[in-house]
Amino acid sequence: MSILQSIKNAVRSRSIHVSYIDVGSCNGCDIEVLACLAPRYDIEQYGIYVHNNPREADVLLVIGSVTPQWEDKLRNIWEKIPAPKAAIAIGNCPISGCVYARKGSLTTPPVKNYIPIAAEVPGCPPRPTEILSAILSVAPLIFKDYEEKQS
Amino acid sequence: MRSIVYYVREFLRPEWLKKFFFVKTAPLVTPPYFKGYPTLTGKDCTGCFTCMMICPAPDAIAVLRRKEQWEPEVYPGHCIRCGLCVEACPEGVLASGRVTDLARRDATAFWHSFHLEVDESLCMRCGNCCVSCPINRQIDPQLAGTGTSTSDEVIMRVSSGRVRILHEEKCTGCKTCETQCPSGAIRVARMVEGVQFLDGVES
Repeated sequence: MSILQSIKNAVRSRSIHVSYIDVGSCNGCDIEVLACLAPRYDIEQYGIYVHNNPREADVLLVIGSVTPQWEDKLRNIWEKIPAPKAAIAIGNCPISGCVYARKGSLTTPPVKNYIPIAAEVPGCPPRPTEILSAILSVAPLIFKDYEEKQS
Repeated sequence: MRSIVYYVREFLRPEWLKKFFFVKTAPLVTPPYFKGYPTLTGKDCTGCFTCMMICPAPDAIAVLRRKEQWEPEVYPGHCIRCGLCVEACPEGVLASGRVTDLARRDATAFWHSFHLEVDESLCMRCGNCCVSCPINRQIDPQLAGTGTSTSDEVIMRVSSGRVRILHEEKCTGCKTCETQCPSGAIRVARMVEGVQFLDGVES
């Protein structure tokens, strides 16, 4: 492993930049993500920073079952994130549609159909500790030795 | 001047510096009373499907036949961890947090029944619902074709040009009639009531 790669690994393990999008959830999972930012769970002590701009992010948290307005836009947002990148599905909605997966529903889950998903956090809503541990366990898998894996 | 010296000395203490750079909140442990995904207690499932009946999330729980034994299976990604299946199960097959303990302490339970409703404007009196109903067939094996029956004990039958529901209480909520109805006229609704026993003992 080159010195440059080891420096990148060390930096990336302590600065995971996260952006979250709500593609039609009931707001329950949004509030759980918000609780991660609050002092009780304090996401920044693990070196995770939250942005509202996908261009600044490495990890995308996708919340909610996909409503018709999001079907074409979700892919665009995913492509704006610079590599290395990962998407995490938060809650039941992006995985299965949860209680919206009924006959006559307008939503089109799962999110897997639109962007590649690296991890799924089930729950309605998932607990902040579960969200945190998902981000912390996915980040090293994607970002460690990224350049060496590419070549 | 003295105060500046004080602050510099205070902030140069190794203990303070160590805390400033490395302190983290203690890892939060999930308390045992949090409702997790229902787990099996090892008691025998009788296959009454009460858990599937009460579950509010689609496809979250299924009772499967495994080698001569029924067994409920919970699917994370669908399950919303409400604990209703745990509380509704009459055999105590499932466990989640302290749901069963609280239900026993407060002597609460769920009573459920099924309500059948036929939309007269959609119904075309084909009798598919009466014929396909497995309970109907058990009570009156002669019932076939047009859905007419001479027995008064059947759940529903076609008589004098329309579907008449006679014994709603015999319905088990299998919804076979709903899936067999060509025009979507018959609906099976589950009616669930939460009850508490006054004497504190479940009778």
